[in-house]
Amino acid sequence: MTAIAVKRPRALSFGNLWISAGIIAVLLLYPVFFGKAMNFGVSTVLFAGFAMAWNILGGWAGQTSLGHAALLGVGAYTMTLLAIPERGPAWLHSVGIGSGAAIAPWWGILAGMVLAVLLSLVWGSLTFRLQGSYFTLSSIAVALILRLVAINEDFTGGSQGLFMPDLPTFFGLDLFDRRVEYGLAVGFVVITLIVTHIIRRSRTGYALQAVREDEDGARALGIDPARMKLIAFAISAALTALGGGLYAIYLQAFEPHTLLELPLSVQIALMAIIGGRTSLQGPVIGAVVLAVFGEVFRNLFSSANLLIYGVLILVVTLFAPGGIMGLFSRRGRRLGTAR
Amino acid sequence: MRKLMIVGVVGAVSAMLLVQSSAQTAKTGTIKIGAITAVTGRFAEFGTQQLAGFKVGVAEINRRGGINGQKIELLIEDNASDVNKGLAAAERLANAGVPLVICEYSSSLVKAQAQYLARQKVPALVVTSSGDDITKPGNDYIFRLNQPATEYARALLNIFRDSKFKSMAMVAGTGAFEKSVADAALIFAKQYGIQVVEDQRYDQGLTDFRPVLNRIKSKNPDGVLMVSYAADSVTLMRQAREVGVKPRMFAGGAAGFALPDFIKDAGSAAENVVSATAWIQELRYPGTQKLHVELVKALGGAEPSYHAAQAYAGVIAAADAIRRAGSTDREKVRAALNTTNIQTAFGPIVFTDFDGFKNQNNLTMVAEQVQDGKFVPVYPRSVVPKAIKFERP
Amino acid sequence: MNPDFQAFVQTLVQGLLTGGIYALVGIGLSLIFGVMRVINFAHGDFLALGMFLTLFLFKTVHLDPYFSLLIALPLGFALGYFIQRFVLSRLGDRLSESSMLATLGLGLIVSNMLLLGFGAQPQTINVPYANNTFTLGGIQVSIALLVAGLGTLVAIVGLNLLLYRTELGRAIRATAQNPLGAELQGVNTRTIQATVFGLGVAFAAIAGVLLLPLLYAYPTVGETFTLKAFVVTVLGGLGNLPGAIVGGLFLGGVESLGSFYISNNYRDAYGLIAFLLVLLLRPEGLFGKTVKRV
Repeated sequence: MTAIAVKRPRALSFGNLWISAGIIAVLLLYPVFFGKAMNFGVSTVLFAGFAMAWNILGGWAGQTSLGHAALLGVGAYTMTLLAIPERGPAWLHSVGIGSGAAIAPWWGILAGMVLAVLLSLVWGSLTFRLQGSYFTLSSIAVALILRLVAINEDFTGGSQGLFMPDLPTFFGLDLFDRRVEYGLAVGFVVITLIVTHIIRRSRTGYALQAVREDEDGARALGIDPARMKLIAFAISAALTALGGGLYAIYLQAFEPHTLLELPLSVQIALMAIIGGRTSLQGPVIGAVVLAVFGEVFRNLFSSANLLIYGVLILVVTLFAPGGIMGLFSRRGRRLGTAR
Repeated sequence: MRKLMIVGVVGAVSAMLLVQSSAQTAKTGTIKIGAITAVTGRFAEFGTQQLAGFKVGVAEINRRGGINGQKIELLIEDNASDVNKGLAAAERLANAGVPLVICEYSSSLVKAQAQYLARQKVPALVVTSSGDDITKPGNDYIFRLNQPATEYARALLNIFRDSKFKSMAMVAGTGAFEKSVADAALIFAKQYGIQVVEDQRYDQGLTDFRPVLNRIKSKNPDGVLMVSYAADSVTLMRQAREVGVKPRMFAGGAAGFALPDFIKDAGSAAENVVSATAWIQELRYPGTQKLHVELVKALGGAEPSYHAAQAYAGVIAAADAIRRAGSTDREKVRAALNTTNIQTAFGPIVFTDFDGFKNQNNLTMVAEQVQDGKFVPVYPRSVVPKAIKFERP
Repeated sequence: MNPDFQAFVQTLVQGLLTGGIYALVGIGLSLIFGVMRVINFAHGDFLALGMFLTLFLFKTVHLDPYFSLLIALPLGFALGYFIQRFVLSRLGDRLSESSMLATLGLGLIVSNMLLLGFGAQPQTINVPYANNTFTLGGIQVSIALLVAGLGTLVAIVGLNLLLYRTELGRAIRATAQNPLGAELQGVNTRTIQATVFGLGVAFAAIAGVLLLPLLYAYPTVGETFTLKAFVVTVLGGLGNLPGAIVGGLFLGGVESLGSFYISNNYRDAYGLIAFLLVLLLRPEGLFGKTVKRV
């Protein structure tokens, strides 16, 4: 616990790249074999992306957030509000911006990502002074306050939520076509994987690991822990908002009661931790395993769909701190127990 | 060793997947209609009612010789009260080639599902979900036979107006349905010249309504309208009695107040509460009494709620449309739904466009009051209403 | 009495009685944190367990809810003892974060088992005194709420006697202050920790029993109370027992007066904002400069 357990990884770990490539290949092959279960596919892949995005803060910076549903919501709401002319664009027009016409979803998602980053910077600079469990508690509180705003204010559509009647085509593709959405969701996962690979090989990545393992030790090395955590939070927030925008397109109509609840935040966090927060692709594996498990035992557990999350997180904390991926790699297992 | 175990688990899981998919191939020779409901999860209470309604509806159609000699069968999918599982269920039904899908209870699930089905050009027949925005603005492929949320408010506010109430107070939950009803009530109140002295919204999970009720008590309104989650109807009434709120009438504008359990759980606190409901056995539609008897039988002796009658009506309307379409072709069925004009034990069904709604059945609500521990219809005139009892003159 | 003032007193009294229940829930959480530095995410779910136990006993053998206290108390204690002794203690000296995740998992298991066992629909019991009230100087008070408030008082006094008047209490306080030192003095800290977790769970279960005549039980009802318990304990300072009591009363009063005089729409936000402010500005809690633990 006291010594800094960060080893400089081999310059380029082909093993890791191959695993990522393999995951992407499997995801791309899914529609070929299961073209008739695209709803399951899109939601599973999106959640894999959310888990990856969560893990940049939760795994790399070691800050367990149980408030990521709020960031997902920022992405979903911003994109949708801007896509409905009588809401976002009309308001912007009234303050002298734009023409009042609908704003395309890709710009909307970009705007959502920017807002999420701003939110995460404020949120993080206030709460990163708190250690460990205290940060987790504060993340719940912030997310729940944002949820109350979404429910009680009119500009968010209140508790009836939002409904997108139409969207422009994206390079000639119908965004409401599940195959297109699947492609975009896989693209989202690919982006999170690339970002994670980059972080892993960068100075930021080493610094983050140092902070995670021993904050005081890291400070002694001249690393500013608060700044490192903020960077991780901002990246995590931007990616989560990106996925949130895609999730909104997939749902087309959503209510705050399905999008901003605590159980959704818990679900995202547990997917990543069960898959293995100390391994690069663990969150994807966790999300896919949990989703497949839920689908297979749909008739057995359907109402108690979080039971398996509870059992697995208990098993993981007790016996396999490296998560599912930790079982396969010695390095993961060692890193896991070192924490 | 560990890896072996994991390989074993993965193998077992994929084997089960195969078994499941093969178990789902259904009988041939029948006309299959899709239906989604909450067999499990937080809305399972309503799912149980709907399953009974489906059963009675299918039995009735088949007893009369099915559709042009072919029996009908419902392919029922569970949404587990979850939006993603509901969407996956809709996709399975769309792939199974059903001519239309009957959609279920919660508007948060139905909105996403109905949009998905419309994109796949599968007609969606909504039977219970009442959020206004499902058929407003609506879609060519989305039809709804039950009353939208606005109608709950209209029925109760009409009673307030007819009773010459000058003022009312409102407590409403923040759910989508609750908000729809509450917002509509504000509009009707303005229209009828009833002053709204208190409008309080509360979030799910609230357990202490006393401060709100104290506020209401101090304003002493003629009517108190409560639009709450099912779980809160009993808590609200208990605490209203405890705090000593005494309006001329308590009105409940949501399903929780109309369920048989409300009287059982709230006991004396439920007395004199008026609630809006979509269907009761006293209605004077052909076959209403008989439907009630059959629903009780299907529920194993339990009292049916209007959700069961709506599910029944959904099956009847679907069979009627397929019969008139003369095929299970989705476009033809959709065209047939557009010209639906039938009398059912739930009420008349005609899908029309009005007040911004599209393909919406325009049906009035009824109101009933708890009198001496029983529900008694009090509105409208067509159901031989008994006199309304007031809490105070 | 002037009606405005009467309304104020009425609202405050009811808020404080509700706050008493918050305090009871919060004390269990704070006790566990004080000794083990674990934030118990399953706390509200244990409360739900108490509610469903009472419901089950009432529906099967018509046991009066208040008599089921005699069953809920030992069962809750045994469950908590077992969980700490055989599950959480296995986590050893790993970061408190692992324990937090483990309790999160336990909570999910409890609430989902309740879902499988009892279904999701809200259920309650109708006892004759559920609607009874009495009037004292123009203030109406619910009997069931008053009993819950008195129950809280008894539980708190009992806990205080246990902590400050018994050998076990000395051992608990010693373990809270310095586990290693206590161990060196011959205290079996593993047993003490299990005992403390048992007490915490028992407190949650008692709160559940006392609440059932007032409220509905549904499997996820615990989520609300876990959050309330977090707010209460952070307001009072994590691990600070008198703080948790004052925190509970404070939250009950603030929520009640806030929704009476301002608006009910943001009722939960009042507590959450206070919670965030205290976390950020005074992590040791609202009361007392130094953290007085257990």
